[in-house]
Amino acid sequence: MKSKKYSEALLNLFKKKGFKVKEFENIIESQIIIERSGEIFKKSLLSFEDDNGKNFSLRPDLTISACLDYIKNIKRGVYKYAYFDQAYRRTFGKGSLVRNQLGCEIIGSSNLQLNQEIINLIDQSLQKVIRDKTTIKINDINIFYSLVDSLKLPSRWRLRLKRHFWRPDYFNELISRLESNSDLQKNVFELDKKSYFKMKKLKQNNKIAGRQINEILKRFEKKLEEPRSNIKGVRVAKIIRDFLKIKCSFKNAENELKKFEFKNKINLKLKQFDVFDLKLKNNKAIFSTNIGRSAEYYTGLVFEIYKKSKNLNLASGGRYDNLMQSLGSKKKIAAIGGAINYDNILKL
Amino acid sequence: MNKLIKIGLPSKGRLKDESLKFFKKNNLLIKDSKRNYLSEIKNFKLNEVVFSHAREIVERLADNSLDVGISGYDLLKESLPGIKKNIKVFSRLNFGFADLIVAVPDAWIDVQTIADLEEISFEFKDKNIGKLRIATKYPNLTNDFLLSKGLTQYKIVNSLGSTEIYPFTNQSEIITDITSSGETLKANNLRILKDGDILSSSACILVSKKSLGDKNKKNIIINLLKKLKNK
Repeated sequence: MKSKKYSEALLNLFKKKGFKVKEFENIIESQIIIERSGEIFKKSLLSFEDDNGKNFSLRPDLTISACLDYIKNIKRGVYKYAYFDQAYRRTFGKGSLVRNQLGCEIIGSSNLQLNQEIINLIDQSLQKVIRDKTTIKINDINIFYSLVDSLKLPSRWRLRLKRHFWRPDYFNELISRLESNSDLQKNVFELDKKSYFKMKKLKQNNKIAGRQINEILKRFEKKLEEPRSNIKGVRVAKIIRDFLKIKCSFKNAENELKKFEFKNKINLKLKQFDVFDLKLKNNKAIFSTNIGRSAEYYTGLVFEIYKKSKNLNLASGGRYDNLMQSLGSKKKIAAIGGAINYDNILKL
Repeated sequence: MNKLIKIGLPSKGRLKDESLKFFKKNNLLIKDSKRNYLSEIKNFKLNEVVFSHAREIVERLADNSLDVGISGYDLLKESLPGIKKNIKVFSRLNFGFADLIVAVPDAWIDVQTIADLEEISFEFKDKNIGKLRIATKYPNLTNDFLLSKGLTQYKIVNSLGSTEIYPFTNQSEIITDITSSGETLKANNLRILKDGDILSSSACILVSKKSLGDKNKKNIIINLLKKLKNK
């Protein structure tokens, strides 16, 4: 009953703001997910084969379902989705295969107004339903990318750090490796140099296991050109760790970041970020550089909402401007959304 | 009251020969017949020896149609959690040694580590030529290992044999496979990545947990296990 009361109240509040409550298809083609996320997500799909050997899965996530619905049925313009339904994933013995998911998405626009609309809507709706104050944490993960670009690092390392920002445990491992320079093995490298000269004499556009010889040699040359010293690695690792500790009131965010720039003699190019212009109704907003690291698909603004008195996560979301394309849209379609942490709401 | 214990042994290859030798060294005599898949330990209590595929021994121990068995540690670890939780590893044995590793074509001289592989996987993704394909007979262990090392953009190609040729027949780009000396890999122009060791395996004695909980069988199984010593 409690569950129904909360879900109905939230969906009604979303509906009042022009969101359309949608039901999605239960089954999706597994290939769509695998092409996007590789094996990491495939592992958690509850999938099966049909008589033709085609693989299907129970829908694993309703944000993905909303995106697929937009691609198939809506196709253009701004569409505001709201939903409360079940999603299904393997949990490897931890928890239920069925998850209730309640959320809303705005697909089809990158307008800053929509960023604040969705954050304010979810936040204010939650406050009404739980009858308590909330705290919002805000971040724009592009500021981290800008930090990485400003550091003296081989380009390979820049990409690596950006790609794995959303996997905190592995990211920490990377930072440790950056400090110790442990990813190079000199004796093997010398042996490979001999092969390099041999391969130079071969036809450069011949392929070996899917890669052209000139590609392999080019990347090898790049590795030779980009050695980095341990000393620099230690400094860079410290800057990154310090950056990820920045946590302040949202109003002071720009100033705090400027101080950080000055202290570390770097340029974060803060003028390009519109996150600081967000007009939030909640005056207890916090800026934290360490949030938004739970989903690979976020591309910019991210937020988390907590019940203030218990520090309990109630919702999280963010902008995902590349997801539509990776799910099969022919053009780039911007989107933002948020999911209510329904299990935590029921604990209240 | 069923006191018959069922023992699963590998039905072919070196693992079968070594298993029979191991029982013999421990003075437990099994009659081996090349064609009959059923036998018994002649000088032990009521028992039945079933010769099965090593992979199947793991599954039959999990569903309790076998009580004790010898199989590869790699095969146990590759099993799904629901199977593993029903099996106890009694001991690792001094034979059947092999490593599960990640190997890339020798000519990929720019790839030394999994971190390099991760970059290559994004090259494949960015060029829209599909995912980096990894051929393997061990999809679960491969996934767990690669994901823990930061590799996410790849696709598993399930292989049933001759995995080493997959990268050169356009069936995959790289492989994970079991190797004991590395010679077959070398002969097929593959090399193991510096940090590409997934698992060190050997033969092991496995016991069905359900059988250990069966008061009619428990003591007989313990008796048998006491006789089976690494020598």
